[in-house]
Amino acid sequence: MSAARLPSRIARHHPRGRAISISGPRRIRRASWALLLALSACRPAAPAARSGGVVDDAGDTVAVAAPPRRIVSLIPATTELLFAIGAGSSVVGRTEWCDYPPAAAAVPNLGDGIAPNVEAVLASRPDLVLLYHSAQNAAIAARLRTLGIPALRLNTDRLADVGRIGRLLGRVTGHAAAADSVAAVFDSALASATVTPTGPRPKVLLLVWEQPPMTIGRGSFLDDLVRRAGGVNLFEDVASSAGTVSIEAVASRDPDLILTTTAGPVAFASRPEWQAVRAVRERRFLPVTGSEFNRPSPRAPAAIRELSAKLRRAG
Amino acid sequence: MRARTALLLLAVLATLALGLAAGTVPLAPAEVWAGLWHSDAGSAVIVRDLRAPRVLLAFCVGGSLAVSGAALQAMIRNPLAEPYLLGLSGGAGLGAVIAIATRAAGAWAVPIAAFAGAVAAVALVYRLSLVAGRRLDPRVLLLSGVVVGSFAGALMSAIIVLSPSAGTRNAFLWLLGGFGSASWQTLAVFAAYAVLPLGLIGASARSLDLIALGEEPAHHLGADVDRTRRLVYASTALLTAASVAACGIIGFVGLVVPHAVRTVARPLHRSLLPLVFLAGGGFLVLSDVVSRTIVRPLELPVGVITALVGVPLFALLLRRTLT
Repeated sequence: MSAARLPSRIARHHPRGRAISISGPRRIRRASWALLLALSACRPAAPAARSGGVVDDAGDTVAVAAPPRRIVSLIPATTELLFAIGAGSSVVGRTEWCDYPPAAAAVPNLGDGIAPNVEAVLASRPDLVLLYHSAQNAAIAARLRTLGIPALRLNTDRLADVGRIGRLLGRVTGHAAAADSVAAVFDSALASATVTPTGPRPKVLLLVWEQPPMTIGRGSFLDDLVRRAGGVNLFEDVASSAGTVSIEAVASRDPDLILTTTAGPVAFASRPEWQAVRAVRERRFLPVTGSEFNRPSPRAPAAIRELSAKLRRAG
Repeated sequence: MRARTALLLLAVLATLALGLAAGTVPLAPAEVWAGLWHSDAGSAVIVRDLRAPRVLLAFCVGGSLAVSGAALQAMIRNPLAEPYLLGLSGGAGLGAVIAIATRAAGAWAVPIAAFAGAVAAVALVYRLSLVAGRRLDPRVLLLSGVVVGSFAGALMSAIIVLSPSAGTRNAFLWLLGGFGSASWQTLAVFAAYAVLPLGLIGASARSLDLIALGEEPAHHLGADVDRTRRLVYASTALLTAASVAACGIIGFVGLVVPHAVRTVARPLHRSLLPLVFLAGGGFLVLSDVVSRTIVRPLELPVGVITALVGVPLFALLLRRTLT
């Protein structure tokens, strides 16, 4: 990957500099080749790249000038991983929601991670931008790449993504060894935290919103946490990531516990229509409020242990 | 005419029965019957505590919205008039978003805030429309409704964007409408509340007939146009605000049901309004049945269904009456 040999400094200072090459139309690739040749003729040879082309979760091959020194991380999960693998000092921008580790608070807040503010991203002069892989972020990824800034679109929805994305970030940022050890520690902690219950699994309603009642189905992060903690998602037959359910369905499925993600006292419990649900009448709530419960992270094994302790106490 | 009324009544009863029988949890008719009459039956909680109030609330709200629409269309003399055109939806949405953004505690905080927001918007619209002293100008009323609604909508978007609570976005879900939170308590509050405005609109039936002829003729025929307008405006606004508090914003019912009924019924409001109430109630019960059975065990917002079911029905009716 010759594009990766180009120091990002040149790319930033040269108005038409291209620090990345995306496998795209041949014409563009040829143009960047020509530009590279011209640049390398008048500059001393760049140091050998420590990272080559990276295939992100959108399937794009992105060459990252190695190693990036100014990373804008627009996913809370990747911010957390970057700090975990020792690349925290390279993070120069984060989202509003990046609340862990506490050191991340010192990183400038660029606002939302979905359809982020392009100006704010550019103003932090990044040499790598991490974006959540969603349809709304496709346009900004393309835009950043045409401006010569490598942008990776990543999925961070499941437990399996912690090790996978951690290793990917380690490779890209030159912290491969640290990332490998974080991932290995994570895998063994996950295995030891996972519970194989002897009795029946308690049925847990994952109530992510109360008015209207919304739950999340199979394959979601919370679904995975609850299953590993020894419980079972009351709506594991629902495949969608989030949906409104009727109280009638909840009442007839009769959950043993209700996991709520809102802080403070459970207000909906006093409403008459909810009294049809036994777990509400018996006030069997399981409030989880920490951010370790809403995004896959190296803290997930600890979250599973906390959850399984609560399930045991409640059961 | 009698036969048609009887037919509509029968259809409404069948719809109510369907509303009790159908739901997220499949129940055999025998189980529904047992749940209805025996409190120790396994299905009693679902049928009595969840489905029955839900069906009746949908019926009352549907009827109230349809009657509000019919009265407004007559009063403003504009077929496009509908309950949400008066800035109500914007005001209610703003109230709900503020309640969620400030994490107002309590099980009833969101509906109460939505009601307060709707009433505030209505009061503002009313004040803006009072031209030349105490005369209520329908054209100004429509325009102020639209601008107040837009203003409230803009404020709502600003709060959603600026609020640190990610839950604020979910206020939209609540506003999209649904009867998932219906209970006997909600039904009792709504029904007790709706009696007076519905009665006032019913009592204005003859004046509405006259106003439909035009402001001048109505005046000459002895109708107190201004008083009727104020009365009908206040009644429809309060009815709609209460429906928003009970179940969010459900469009389409108030706009289209009155027109649909007018294509088959006599135009006199004394006979039209009860039919509109029945048709609106039955229509909303039916839409709610679809919303809770089409993607079991999930639910679709009922406002989506009213439009999906209602628009083709209405188009069909329009074609039939025009040709």
